[in-house]
Amino acid sequence: MKALQLVGYFQDFQLTWDYFFDQLVAGLALGSLYGLIAIGYSMVYGILKLLNFAHGEVFMIGSYIGFFVLTWLGGAADPSLPIAIVIGLMFVAAMLGAGLLGVVIERFAYRPLREKRAGRIAPLISALGVSFFLQQLAVICFGSAPKQYDSFSFDAGSLFTSVTIGPFEIQYMQLFVIVTTICLMVALTIFIARTQVGRAMRATSFDLEAASMMGIDVDRVIVVTFLLGSALAGAAGVMNGLIFQNVDGYVGFQVGLIAFTAAVVGGIGSIPGAMLGGLAIGLGRAFSIGYVSSSYQDVIVFAILIAFLLLRPSGLFGTPAPQKV
Amino acid sequence: MAALLELTKVSKAFGGLQCVSDLDLDVGDGEIVSVIGPNGAGKTTLFNLVTGIYRPDAGDIRFDGESIVGLAPHKITNRGVARTFQTLRLFLNMSVKENVMAATYGRTRASLLESMLRLPRARREERRTNAVAAEKLSFFGERLMGYRWNQPAYSLSYANRRRLEIARATATSPRLLLLDEPAAGMNPVETHEITELIAKLRDDGGYAILVIEHDMHVVEGISDRVVALDHGIKIAEGTFDEVATSPRVVEAYLGASATERK
Amino acid sequence: MSDAGDGPRIGADEWVARSGERAEARGGIVGRLRELYERVPKPAVFAFFVAVGALVPLLTAQTDNDIYFLRVGTVALVFALLALGLNVAVGFAGLLDLGYIAYYGIGAYGYAFLSSDKHGVHWGAWLVIPLVVTASALIGLLLALPSRRLVGDYLAIVTLFFGQIFYVIATQGYRISFLGLNKDLGFDRANWDLTGGPNGIANVDRIGAFGLTASSERAYFYITLVAVVVVFAGLTLANRSRTGRAWRALNDDMLAAQAMSMPVNWLKLLAVAVGAAVAALAGTINAALLQGAFPDDYNTQVLIIIYAMVILGGAGSLAGAVLGAVLVSVLMLEGLRPQTPIGDLTGNGRWVFYAAILLVLVATIRPLRRLAAILGGIAVFGVLVHTIVAATTARGTDGLLNTGPETFEEGGPLGWLVRNWLALPGGTYEVGSRTWFNIALVGLIALMLCVTLVKGWVRDALIVPAVWLAGFVWETRLVIEASGPTRLLLLGVMLIVVMVARPQGLLGRPRVEIV
Repeated sequence: MKALQLVGYFQDFQLTWDYFFDQLVAGLALGSLYGLIAIGYSMVYGILKLLNFAHGEVFMIGSYIGFFVLTWLGGAADPSLPIAIVIGLMFVAAMLGAGLLGVVIERFAYRPLREKRAGRIAPLISALGVSFFLQQLAVICFGSAPKQYDSFSFDAGSLFTSVTIGPFEIQYMQLFVIVTTICLMVALTIFIARTQVGRAMRATSFDLEAASMMGIDVDRVIVVTFLLGSALAGAAGVMNGLIFQNVDGYVGFQVGLIAFTAAVVGGIGSIPGAMLGGLAIGLGRAFSIGYVSSSYQDVIVFAILIAFLLLRPSGLFGTPAPQKV
Repeated sequence: MAALLELTKVSKAFGGLQCVSDLDLDVGDGEIVSVIGPNGAGKTTLFNLVTGIYRPDAGDIRFDGESIVGLAPHKITNRGVARTFQTLRLFLNMSVKENVMAATYGRTRASLLESMLRLPRARREERRTNAVAAEKLSFFGERLMGYRWNQPAYSLSYANRRRLEIARATATSPRLLLLDEPAAGMNPVETHEITELIAKLRDDGGYAILVIEHDMHVVEGISDRVVALDHGIKIAEGTFDEVATSPRVVEAYLGASATERK
Repeated sequence: MSDAGDGPRIGADEWVARSGERAEARGGIVGRLRELYERVPKPAVFAFFVAVGALVPLLTAQTDNDIYFLRVGTVALVFALLALGLNVAVGFAGLLDLGYIAYYGIGAYGYAFLSSDKHGVHWGAWLVIPLVVTASALIGLLLALPSRRLVGDYLAIVTLFFGQIFYVIATQGYRISFLGLNKDLGFDRANWDLTGGPNGIANVDRIGAFGLTASSERAYFYITLVAVVVVFAGLTLANRSRTGRAWRALNDDMLAAQAMSMPVNWLKLLAVAVGAAVAALAGTINAALLQGAFPDDYNTQVLIIIYAMVILGGAGSLAGAVLGAVLVSVLMLEGLRPQTPIGDLTGNGRWVFYAAILLVLVATIRPLRRLAAILGGIAVFGVLVHTIVAATTARGTDGLLNTGPETFEEGGPLGWLVRNWLALPGGTYEVGSRTWFNIALVGLIALMLCVTLVKGWVRDALIVPAVWLAGFVWETRLVIEASGPTRLLLLGVMLIVVMVARPQGLLGRPRVEIV
């Protein structure tokens, strides 16, 4: 198995442009991942004012779905279909599966609380329960050891072969991740801006009660929100598997926290903000791994979160919401 | 004699919406001033500015001669300003008596440790708090007495909840009471009761009172002075008769053609 | 007015109207008992339970596994302490403090720093414990300070993060280097080992003061019992004090509390600090009990366990916190552990599992006719499936009851019942049958979700196969993993179910929320 060189580690520290660009590109790829997950957090929070703790686990399940599809199709080393189709199927399956999971979670763990008018803490605790449940479910069903991905190989090498574009040296995998993310973002933005449902989503995130009084089926909007957000998380899950070449039941929790930070940094409730926040955090992590130390990257992310919450709680793109008394 | 509450050229805007604009207002000791105006005139915003929930963009607010702009809400309450809420904000899961007792927090000093160790000061204050709560609740006659004390606040009827909120506000030992639509949602009998109650608050309690009200019967019955607002601007001030017949006020409520018809 | 169903309703002035109901409830056995209970002064009830607790060691001394039972009891009491402390922030003040576990860890590590060979400091417990507890309260204050203006969700995430950071520091803190400049700063080693890293700190002193050392299991039981009693009493008094009222007021309506003279930000800090102090106390006891401070005792999983205890018992109820802690600790944490006296008694939790299902069915299904029909249906269904499977594949029903990764047993008469009711394939732990397990598990989850959606006879019809599948899933896999993921899985489910079905838990009071 080829050794994974996602980022240069502190031990290889050099003060060269090449090293800098390596971190930069790695950070962008990682950041795209975080951004996709952060969008789901932002969308749900924008409408429901709920922090969906379980979102990270949806991401994790998405990565498992991708893995199983791959295995079912013969594995990366000897796939029964062309690689492009295999990867495409992985994405479709993961996005559908994760989206469905998100909808189920909303229906059974959050909606009853909304209908009962249970306050703000109850859904959070329920979310904690769901998160824990999914994590342990994955461990029970799939084992606690991470499952390894084989590497794909094609004519030009493997996903980890680097291609030189201008001053950058970028791996195929990173290129793939970034491009796919851009496509998904564009698709989502068009959906929200142009379709009826998208408009309904925007209206509901401004004022849920008013939207319901204007004839918008708020429950349906919420379902669509969860569906889209979770589908993006599923896609991120597949990407995670491709980048790190393994799937692991415990990854959801960590990544969930990081993605939440990204959503806050970008301005919770704002979709472009979530992506930008994700990129910022991704770059932050890559640079801290490369230039400081890999053990304390969590601390750095935490510091960024606290700084934003103290200094600019509405994030980069969020709008501070005045409270009507 | 300086007024108890003095607002000088106070302005507050939210985004593009100017809620209060260059407002001058004062309330003297023992006075009852009513604030009227159509919905959206900035009346509740006024209350929020005085109690420190919002900070004015411009202007000064002075209570008892000292500026209270920028103070935290609980500090302003300790200075002597208490309020009720238009939408009723009781501590629903606490009992009736506890709601009132909680409001005495600012007037008591026992620390957590003292309470846990049941030191003399804590016990003394607790007895006093009980007495104060009983006194404030008895102000309303039999309605909030007896077995009601241990009832959770959420189980009270609407009118009783309004009364409880007033009782709770008085438990902070204020000098100025801000009542936000105290008669909202009440039937004529209850409204009459409230009118008498507010007068009693001034006479027996000695409070200065600033009232937001829509019901003109109440306004007429209690006010020493009336201030009319529209779109955040003061459009009239004076006795009830003066304000009620002021053309600008009529226009604000009924539209321009109404004044023409006069 | 709100329409919260059977919950408390705003403005429905029911006190007088319900007095008839209350009079009726006083009749009957349960009513009589309840009335009797109301008459007894609460301090007497408290003293009763304290006496019961104090008598436990005398009872366990009669058994063969004295030390084991005492340890279980002490651990349950440590959890009770933790649950009590968490109740201050979550139950009284309504703050979701997800970093609570860090204060527990700070207590343990603080004690370990000052009472072990790690840093060569061996101070007596009379100094260390108060010091560590105070330090933890101060740290709680400091950490809550930047977050004091955050509401609910944000506070939750920030505190969760802090808990993570603590864990990172604990596990990575054995090679602290200040940018490689340690030597220049006077340290005589390249890496400073503060926390012992993933292996933690071992050989921590026992609790000792003024020449006396507590070294027996019984001593620690009593020490923890005293701690629980003191904290319980203190927090009860706190709840009744002006501060307690202020906490509950800010829980109900933060804005109104501020308007009514309560300094909301300070109160939040205070709540977190008090909780931190109690958690640290629990931490010091735990470190002395285990004679070590190990990072995995202070990670997020333990946090969720403590939360489950508080939520199950009822947030806001101190007695509920203790009850929840004891129940979860003894039944779930011990009862599911293989090859221990309690674990053996419950067959790895096997019998507890079936008992719990039966209990839930009996408690919730009325009238008795319906209950009988469902129970009968479950029995018949199982036997039917068993017969069909036995007829088709010989191996399909060969399996015995799993009692460990590699061990099986017949399980006596109860075991015989289970084996003939279910269809346990031979060799249930073989890799191939994992697929069956996974499918069954997914099917079970889907069925359970459907059960919550439908009503009437359809629901009853779905409950039958659901229970059977639950048994199948339990026997083929979950019971083996019981001491690991299974119990955590069940805790997660419990959190969800309690929130959706009975948010006030066992002993809490139903709340009305302004949304």
